[in-house]
Amino acid sequence: MAADNSLNASLAAATCALLGAGSAAPATASETDEWSFESALLYYGESDNRVQDMSAAFAAKRDFGDERSLSLNLTADTLSGASASGAIALDVPQTFTSPSGRAVYTTPAGKVPLDDTFHDARFALTGSWTQPLAQLYTFTAGFGVSSEYDYKHLGANLGVTRDFNKRNTTLSGGVAYSRDNSNPVGGAPIPLAQMLDAGDSSNKLGSDSKDVVDLLLGVTQVLGRNTLLRVNYSYSDSSGYLNDPYKILSVVDPVTGDTIARVPTVGLEGPTGIYRYESRPDKRVKQSVYAELKHAFGQPVLSAAYRFMTDDWGIDSNTLEVKLRWPWGGSNFVEPQLRYYTQSAADFYRSSLVSDQALPAYASADFRLGQFNATTIGLKFGHRNADGNEWSTRLELYQQSGTVPRDQIIGNQAGREQYPDLSAIIAQFSYSFGL
Amino acid sequence: MNFRCSETSMKTISLLMLILSLAGCASVQVQPWERDVLARPEMSLDSAPLDAAIDDHIYFSKEASSGGRGFGGGGCGCN
Repeated sequence: MAADNSLNASLAAATCALLGAGSAAPATASETDEWSFESALLYYGESDNRVQDMSAAFAAKRDFGDERSLSLNLTADTLSGASASGAIALDVPQTFTSPSGRAVYTTPAGKVPLDDTFHDARFALTGSWTQPLAQLYTFTAGFGVSSEYDYKHLGANLGVTRDFNKRNTTLSGGVAYSRDNSNPVGGAPIPLAQMLDAGDSSNKLGSDSKDVVDLLLGVTQVLGRNTLLRVNYSYSDSSGYLNDPYKILSVVDPVTGDTIARVPTVGLEGPTGIYRYESRPDKRVKQSVYAELKHAFGQPVLSAAYRFMTDDWGIDSNTLEVKLRWPWGGSNFVEPQLRYYTQSAADFYRSSLVSDQALPAYASADFRLGQFNATTIGLKFGHRNADGNEWSTRLELYQQSGTVPRDQIIGNQAGREQYPDLSAIIAQFSYSFGL
Repeated sequence: MNFRCSETSMKTISLLMLILSLAGCASVQVQPWERDVLARPEMSLDSAPLDAAIDDHIYFSKEASSGGRGFGGGGCGCN
């Protein structure tokens, strides 16, 4: 009986953990533990003095028996470094007003402008409660809250699962709502307003917010003794302030492709070119289908996942991720990982604005909305001892390489770096244990 | 605009049909006593929840897509 119960507990954790990280078990602890914990330290660092992030995460799960459990997950990160602002590189140095509106920063000639004025700390807490609702039904309720200097998030989610076919099939459904408040340093810029001299905030408003509603429908199906498949459909509707308040576009000459020059007001410091703040629609609907397969080849376990995402901003993306967990010397394992991602550009993505054309309703040069491919290769190595406690270390290399559409490359831009390609190292150490 | 809408709808419909076709798999019956392999921790679909949460957050910050696996663990001002 005890063996059955512990198997049931694991199965319950496996089939019920469908609705987000908050409700999942750190499943490496022994099945008879009431508490299971997982901790992780992460370093993320981009090349060329771009973004660096250090974070610590701690997840705790308390199993009350009878498929009832409480999960809590706390994360803290500290961000520093520089992020591509969206302005194009020039053959001369460029000066920009910083996001606070009180200072300026300069980019050397030939370099893609990076806004290096941000340094932020973020804290996030998520939690969820899972319990049976009736025979073969479970119910999950969760919340999430995060806070950083210029951004606050509050969200809640509810989910239900129903098992069929002797728990070979599980249907799940969930809904989530969140309200995010954005309070950018210096104020949220008026979309497409021109960047002004330091001290002039007439182009800035105050804070703004957005609402996000998410819907998730999923099926988990046992395909055999060694194989499990999950397929999820997600629908997400965001409305409100969707702009990145720190991203800009260069306004360029239609022939040379160089940024139109500007002289700051006498006695003030300010931009040496015409730059405009980005503008995105105030609504975004995304849909995605995600499929994940796990197959055990004896001891080694293969995980493969594919996601297709499409939205009403014109972005389509494909993600393929493969991991192979290979046991090694009794209680160790190695897990090589590979991820390939590709996305198309948003309809309103522009590498620069042309001075002799009317301003579009929406425009953004944010590289994250452009057309690019990204590859991650990584290796995880870990050790699990007889108590079920496990430590592991993971090292990954992430590379992003983008393309600007040919018709958007004007004049001298062809001879310069057009897309701020990204290269980052991810290093993580984790330890999970039970009590 | 209308053409794009119907293209997107066609993609979504065909993907939904893929999900529904899984109903055919419902004939597979692995008995409770045959679940030894499936009960191994590394066979759980959420076997590394912190790894998944960390990855989701990194990719959400650097790419235009997010989620798919489940609900996110908290928003951020990064995208």
